[in-house]
Amino acid sequence: MTELQRDKTFEPSGVSGKLKVVLHDVSGTLIRALGTIERRGYDYRDVHCTQRVDGDFDLLVHVEDTGGPSDLDILCKQLERLYNVVSAERVGRRKHAEHWQ
Amino acid sequence: MTTATQFERQDTEVATDRPAKSGALLLLESIEAQGVDTIFGYPGGAIMPVYDVLPRTSLRHILCRHEQGCGMAAIGYARATGRVGTALATSGPGATNLVTAIADAYLDSVPVVFITGQVPSNLMGTDAFQEVDIIGITMPIVKHSYIARDPADIPGMVAEAYFIAAEGRPGPVLIDLPKDVANALTTERHRWRPYPKVKPDMGTSKDIKAAEQLMRDAKKPLFYIGGGIAQGDGVAELRELVERTDIPVVSTLKGLGSLPSDHPQYLGMLGMHGLKAANYAVQECDLLIVAGARFDDRATGKLDTFAPHAKVIHMDIDIAELGKLRRVNVGLDGSLKKNLAALNPFGGDGKAPNIDEWRTLCYGRRTEYEWDYNAPGQFVYAPKLLHDLSRRAPDSAIFTCDVGQHQMWVAQHCYFDDPKDHITSGGLGTMGFGLPAGLGAKLGAPERTVITVSGDGSIMMNIQELATLNRYNIPLKIVLLDNSVLGMVRQWQEVFFDKNYSETILDDNPDFAVLARAFQIDAFTVNTRDEVDAGIDRLLSTEGPVLMHVKIDPNENVWPLVPPGRSNADMMER
Repeated sequence: MTELQRDKTFEPSGVSGKLKVVLHDVSGTLIRALGTIERRGYDYRDVHCTQRVDGDFDLLVHVEDTGGPSDLDILCKQLERLYNVVSAERVGRRKHAEHWQ
Repeated sequence: MTTATQFERQDTEVATDRPAKSGALLLLESIEAQGVDTIFGYPGGAIMPVYDVLPRTSLRHILCRHEQGCGMAAIGYARATGRVGTALATSGPGATNLVTAIADAYLDSVPVVFITGQVPSNLMGTDAFQEVDIIGITMPIVKHSYIARDPADIPGMVAEAYFIAAEGRPGPVLIDLPKDVANALTTERHRWRPYPKVKPDMGTSKDIKAAEQLMRDAKKPLFYIGGGIAQGDGVAELRELVERTDIPVVSTLKGLGSLPSDHPQYLGMLGMHGLKAANYAVQECDLLIVAGARFDDRATGKLDTFAPHAKVIHMDIDIAELGKLRRVNVGLDGSLKKNLAALNPFGGDGKAPNIDEWRTLCYGRRTEYEWDYNAPGQFVYAPKLLHDLSRRAPDSAIFTCDVGQHQMWVAQHCYFDDPKDHITSGGLGTMGFGLPAGLGAKLGAPERTVITVSGDGSIMMNIQELATLNRYNIPLKIVLLDNSVLGMVRQWQEVFFDKNYSETILDDNPDFAVLARAFQIDAFTVNTRDEVDAGIDRLLSTEGPVLMHVKIDPNENVWPLVPPGRSNADMMER
C-alpha cells in the first residue's frame, strides 16, 4: 500500500505475546479460537494443543498483531466470549490486570 | 477432538414406552417447547423432513419468498417482541441466502435461531448437490453453532441454542440439521448439562464507587447511550438516572427512543449524520458516561479526535467491549439495568451540582440548531414528510427502515419514545432489510401500527416480500422515498468524488405503485408537496397492506455530514 492509502492508525504496533487458551473438547472450538485470533487482527504462530487430564485442551499460541487497535487483554476477553472456551490469558508476562486501569 | 454431542450430553434417557420420533419432529416440538409460535422459512430438498411434519405442530409458519427475507423477518419479529426469532431454510443456496441476515443479527446483537437443512451425514464433505459448509461460512458471524449428529441430541441442543441466543449480549445461533438425522427415529433423549459459563451480574461496588467519583468530579458530563439500553431492559433505569442527575444525553442510531426524542435533556443522535448539538457536546465534554454503546466508527468519526477531553465510564454487558476501541477509566460489565440503578453519585435530590453552565450551553444549542423544515424547491421534502408522518402516526407505531439517505432522515426526523419503535440495520447496514423486517415486526406486534420507510434502491433488494404481505394480508404500511438514485452513494460522489455519478442513477426504475398493485397491494403515488397530507391520511387509514410511493428530489442530501476519517467537529452543512 502507498502511504496515502494506508491509515497509520492501523499499522502494526508490534504487540505480540503468548496466550494460553483452555478449550472444552467440543467440535469446532479450536477453529473458532484460531479464527477469532485472526479476525481480531493477529497472526498466530507456534500453535500447540494438548489434552489435559480433565479432558479439556490447552492451546498455547504465539500471536502478533497485524494492524488495528491491539490489546492482548481485549483479545483474551474476545476468546473467552466464545462458547466452549473456558479461559484465555497471557502467559510469560504479568497476568492481565483490570484493562481499563 | 470429538463431536459436540459427545461432550454436551450428560447421560441418555431411554424410554421404551415412548413412541419413536424423528429428528425433524423433535426439532419442531423442541422449538414449540421454547414458547415459539411463529417461524419464518422457505422449504427445499434437505429440509423437507421438517416441512413434512410441520403440519403436526402448532407453529405458525410464514413462507417468505427468499431466505434472506425469512432471516430479516425473524430479526424484525425478534426486535419488535423482545423474544428469540426463528428462521428456517434448506441446505446450500438456502443456507447461503441466510448469511446476510445472520450477519445482520450478529452486528446488531439480535437473538435469532437460524436452522438449516444439510445433506445426509454420509455425503457431508463430498461436494454433494446443495452442500455447503454453512457452519464454516458463518463461524465469524454467529454467537454459536451446532451440527446435529444424533436426533436424541436435538431437544437439548435446541434448548441451549435459544438460551445462548438470548442470554448476555444477544446474537444469532445456527443449527445445521443433516437430512438423515432429520429422518432418523429415536426414543432416546440425551440430557444436556446446563451451560457452565457464569457471567458477572454487575460491576463491583469498587467500580461503582469509582464511577460515582468521576461523575462528581466532572464539570461537563454527558451520557452516550446505545442499543444495549433496550436489549438490557434498562430504559426505565436510564431515564430515572438521567432525570435525577439532569445530565445531557446523546444517542447512537440504535439507542434512539431510549429517551424520548423531545426530552429536554436529549441533544440528539451523534456521529456522521448526527445533530450539531450532540456532536459539539461530545467534543467538549469532560466525562462520557457510555451505556450500551460500542464506539462504532459511524458514531465516533476519527477515533483519536473523539471526545478528546473526556474521561470515560463504560457500561456494557459484554466485557470484551470495555476498552476495545477507547481506553476507559472505569468499566462496568454485567447488567446495564443493575449498573444504572446502582449509580447514585450526588445524594440529596440526585441532581449534579455545579454544571449549570454546561447545561445551559448544551440545551441552548439544541434550540439553536433545531431543524428547519422550510426547504426551498417544489419537490416533496422527505425530512418534513417523515417528521409529519411520525407525529401523526400512533405513539406506539414502529418504524422499520432500509439503508441509505432515508434511514438517516428517519433517525433525524421521526419521533421515538421507545427504542423498540425503531428497527434499523445499524451495524451491517443492510439494504433490503426494511420490508421483511417490517412484516416480521407486524406479525410480532399485530396491535401496533408498523411503517416501513424504504428507498428505491433498497426496496428492490427484497421486493419479492410484497408477495408475503399479500399472502398473509399483513397490514404493513410502506413509505417508498423514490429519488431515482442510490442517494447516499450519489451524495458521497457529489461531495467526495467530484460529482462522478458512477452507476448510481436509477432513472429506469419501475413504476412502484403499479408494481405493488401487481402483488395485489394497495398503492398510490405522491408527486408534489400539496399531496403529502392526503397521502399520509390514506396511508394511515388503509386497513390492509399499502404502499405510498413518494417522488423526491434526487439532489436532496443528508446534513450534517462528517467526512470519513474526520473529527465529529468537522460537520459539513448544506
